[in-house]
Amino acid sequence: MLKSIIKKEILLNLLSYKFSIIIALSTILILVSIFVMYRDYCLALENYEYEILGSKSENPPAVIPPIPLSIFAKGLEENLCRSYESGRVGGIDVSSTQKSVNTLFKLFTTPDLLYVIKVILSLCAMLFAFDIICGEKETATLRQSLSNNLKRPTLILGKWIGGFSSFIVPFFIAVLLGTIFVTLSPMVDMNPGNLLKLGLFLLGSVIYLAVFFSLGLLLSCLTHRSSTSLVISLFVWAMLVFLIPNLGNILARQFVEIPTVQQLELQREQIQIRTEVEVKRLQTWPEKNKAIERANSEREMLAEDYRNRFNRLVTVSKNITRISPAAAFTFLATDIAGTGMLEERRLKSAFLQYLDTLRNWNEEGERPAFAYQRSSVQDALGLGGLSNCLILVLFNILFFSGAHVAFLRYDVR
Amino acid sequence: MLRTIIAREFLDNVLNLRFMIGLVLCLIITVACMVILAHDYRQELADYNHRVNLQDEFLRNYATRSRILRMIPTQKPPERFRPLIIGMSGDETSNSFDDNPLPILFPSLDFLFIVTIIMSLLAILFSYDAITGERESGTLRLVIANSVPRTTILFGKFIGGAASLLIPFILALLVGVFYINLNPNIQWDGSAWSELALLTAASITFIALFYLLGLMVSTFSRYSAISILNCLFLWVLLVLVIPNVCPYISAQLRRVPSIKEAQRRDREIEIQSIRAAEELMRQSAKEFKLKYGALFSEFESMGSGSEPQKATQQRAQADPKFKSMMDAFRQESEKATQELVRIRGEGQEKLWGDFNRKVAAQTRLAKNLACISPLSNFVYVARDLTGTGLRSLEYFDQVKYEYSGPSGPFWKQVYKKEEEARKNDPTFREDTSFLDLGDYPRFVFREEPLKDKLGEVLPYWGILGLFNVVFFAAAFARFMRYDVR
Repeated sequence: MLKSIIKKEILLNLLSYKFSIIIALSTILILVSIFVMYRDYCLALENYEYEILGSKSENPPAVIPPIPLSIFAKGLEENLCRSYESGRVGGIDVSSTQKSVNTLFKLFTTPDLLYVIKVILSLCAMLFAFDIICGEKETATLRQSLSNNLKRPTLILGKWIGGFSSFIVPFFIAVLLGTIFVTLSPMVDMNPGNLLKLGLFLLGSVIYLAVFFSLGLLLSCLTHRSSTSLVISLFVWAMLVFLIPNLGNILARQFVEIPTVQQLELQREQIQIRTEVEVKRLQTWPEKNKAIERANSEREMLAEDYRNRFNRLVTVSKNITRISPAAAFTFLATDIAGTGMLEERRLKSAFLQYLDTLRNWNEEGERPAFAYQRSSVQDALGLGGLSNCLILVLFNILFFSGAHVAFLRYDVR
Repeated sequence: MLRTIIAREFLDNVLNLRFMIGLVLCLIITVACMVILAHDYRQELADYNHRVNLQDEFLRNYATRSRILRMIPTQKPPERFRPLIIGMSGDETSNSFDDNPLPILFPSLDFLFIVTIIMSLLAILFSYDAITGERESGTLRLVIANSVPRTTILFGKFIGGAASLLIPFILALLVGVFYINLNPNIQWDGSAWSELALLTAASITFIALFYLLGLMVSTFSRYSAISILNCLFLWVLLVLVIPNVCPYISAQLRRVPSIKEAQRRDREIEIQSIRAAEELMRQSAKEFKLKYGALFSEFESMGSGSEPQKATQQRAQADPKFKSMMDAFRQESEKATQELVRIRGEGQEKLWGDFNRKVAAQTRLAKNLACISPLSNFVYVARDLTGTGLRSLEYFDQVKYEYSGPSGPFWKQVYKKEEEARKNDPTFREDTSFLDLGDYPRFVFREEPLKDKLGEVLPYWGILGLFNVVFFAAAFARFMRYDVR
C-alpha cells in the first residue's frame, strides 16, 4: 500500500502546475548560480596568482588560494583570500579584496548555491508540502482514501516520501549538471577530497530541505484549508530563514559589549606614540627596551581582549541563530566547504602563530614561509559541524512526529 | 459605489487571518528591531565619543607633524537613522584583520529588511486572490451583474486592499518612532523628520507596488492556487534573484582588471621610475667626472648623511669652485627626482585612471541592471535618503577631505601653529617638535542637505512609481476582458 501512495503522490506532483514552475525556477537558478560563481572563482584564482607573482622578490605575504568549493558556498571566502602582512604598531596589514572595488556588492547578497538552497529551495519545499493533507481534504479525496483499509501512519509516510522525492530528484539533476560543468573546467581542481566535501554539503542540503518539507507537512496537518496553510507556511518560512538568523546577529551584540575595530586601531596607535615619546626621553638602552616591551605586551593584551570578546560574540550569536534551521545549515555548509567561521578562526590563529615564528626568527637561514592547510572533513564535522547536522536532523524528527501526531487526530471530513 | 467597494474590500481583509498574522508580525518585528537598534546606536555613539576623546587627548599631548598624519581627527559618527537602518561600513572596517565577518553570513535585520521582505510578501498575500478568489466563490459575477463599472471594482479593490495592508505597517512604524522619540540619546532635527516622512512615502510606494503585482497576477489567473504560485515566482525573481545576480553579471559584461594585477603594475611603475632616475644620475655623474675630474671624485667620496654633509658644507665654503660644482650637481639631482616623480605620476595616473574608469563603468552597469528589480530601486531611495548608503560613504569622504585636505581648516591650523612655534622657538624642528593643537577646529560631520539627496533619489523613486503604473495598467487591461464565470 505504501508503494501505491508514494507512486500516486509522485505522479500527482509531476503532473501539477506547481511542479513545472518550481522545477523551472530552481533549475535555472542553480545553473545560473553555479556559472556566475564559477566565473567569480576564476577571478579569485587570478588574483591569487598575481599576489604570488607580485611578491616573488619581496617578503611574500601570507595568502591562501581560493577553494573550488567556494563556487557552491562562498561564505567568508572573500575575507579568507585576503593577504596578511605584519604592519606598523604591531598591527596587521590586510589587502583589499576584488569586491571592494565595486561598491554595489556591499548592498546585495552573494547568489551562490548555498543561498539558492537556503532561501529559494526551502520556500519551494514548503510550497510542495503546504497542501499535502489539507488540499486533499478540500478535494475530498482524503476521506475516500481513509475509508479503505489504510493506516494513517502509512498514508502520511507515503505522502512524505512521494512528495519529497519528487521535489528532490530534479534538484539533484540540476546540481549534478552544474557539478559536471565545474569538474570538467580546467580552472577547477575538484580532487577527491573536494568531491567528498561537496557530497557532504549536498547531504546537508537534503536534510535541510527535508526540514522545510516536514514543516510544510506539519502545517498542512494543523490546518483545514490550503489558503490558511499557505499563509502560515510563508510567515513561518520568513521567520526561520530571514528573521531569526538576522536578528540573532544584532541580538548577540546586546549581550557582549565589543569596541569597534576603529577604536582598537586608535588605541594601538596611541600606545605606539606614547612609547615613542617615552623612548626618546629615556637615556639608556635597557630602559628603552623595557618601555618597548611594555608597550608590546600592552598592545597584545588589547588585541587579545578584543579577540576574546569577539569569540564570545560569535559563540553567543551562533547559539541564538541556531534556533533557525537556516542558520544551522549555513554554519554546516560553510564549515564543510572550508569557507565558514571555523576556517576564519583557524586561519587567523595560524597567521598569529606565524607572526610569533617570524619574531623569533634570528634572520639566519631562510625566512619561514606561511603554510596553511584548510580544515579537513573531520575537522569541519568535529568542531561544531556535527552538532549543526544533528540540529537539522532533530528539526526533521520534531516536525515529522508533530505532523504524524496531528494527522492521527485530523478530522478528514 | 467606489466607497462601498473600498469599505467592503477593507473589511474583508481586516477580518481575515492574514491581517492578524501581518499585524502581529509587523508590530513585534518592527518594535523589537527598533529597540535593539536604538541600543546599538547608543553603544556606537559611546564608542564614537571615546574615539574622539582619544584623538583630542593625543593632539593636546603628543602632536608632532609626523604623528599628526597617523591621527587626523576625522571620526565618522553613527548615522542618525541607525535605529532604523544599519549603515554600510567603509573600507577602514572591512580591511581590518579584526573585522566582524558575521554580517557577511547573516545580514542584519533592520527597517529595510522589514519593508523589502516582510511587507512585500504580505502585500502579495493580501492581493493574490483579490480577483480569482471572488471568481471562485462566485461573488465576482454577482457584483458585475449590477451596474458597476469594472474600473471602479478594480480601483476600489486596490484602494481598500492597500489601505488594509498599510495599517499594520503604519501602526508598527508609529510605535517604533514613538520609542525613538522618547529615547534621550536620539535627537532628530526637522530635516531628519522630513527624511523619515519621505522614507515612509517611499515605503508605501514600494508596498503598493507589490500589492498591484499580486492584483495583476490575479487578473491573469483563473484559480487562486495558480495565482499564488505565479506571484511567488515573480517575488522570488524580483526580490531574491535579480538584485543579487546583477553585480555579478555586470562584473562579467564589464570586466575590471584584477586589483592585485593593478597593484603589481603600480609597483613596477615605481621601480621603473627609480631606475630611470638612477640612470639619469649615473649619466650626470659621468659628465661631472669628465668636467671636474678629481674634484668630483672628492665630492663623491665624502658620502651623504648628516656628518659628511657638514664636512661637504665646510669644504664648499672654503673652495668656491667646489661650491659651484656641488650646486650644479644638486640641480642635476633635483632634475632626476623631478623626472622620477613625473614618470611615476604619469604611469600611476594612467594605470589608476583606467582602472577607476572601468570600475565606475561596472558599478554603473550593475546599478542600472539592478533597476529591473523594485527592491534595488527602493534600497537606493531608502539608503540615500537616510544617509546610510554608498552615497553617504562618498559624501563622508568628501567632507573629510574638505576638513583634512591640504587646504582644509585642520592643516591651516597646523601651519599656523608651526609658524607661531618657529617664531617663538628658533630650535623648532618641523618633524619632531611638539605642536600644541589643543584648540584645533573640531571635525563636525553635517548631513548632506535634503535637497541634494532628493535630486539623487528621485529617478529611482520615479521607477518605483512607473512600476506601480505599469502593474495597474496591466491589471486594468486584463480585468476588462476577464471572464467572471
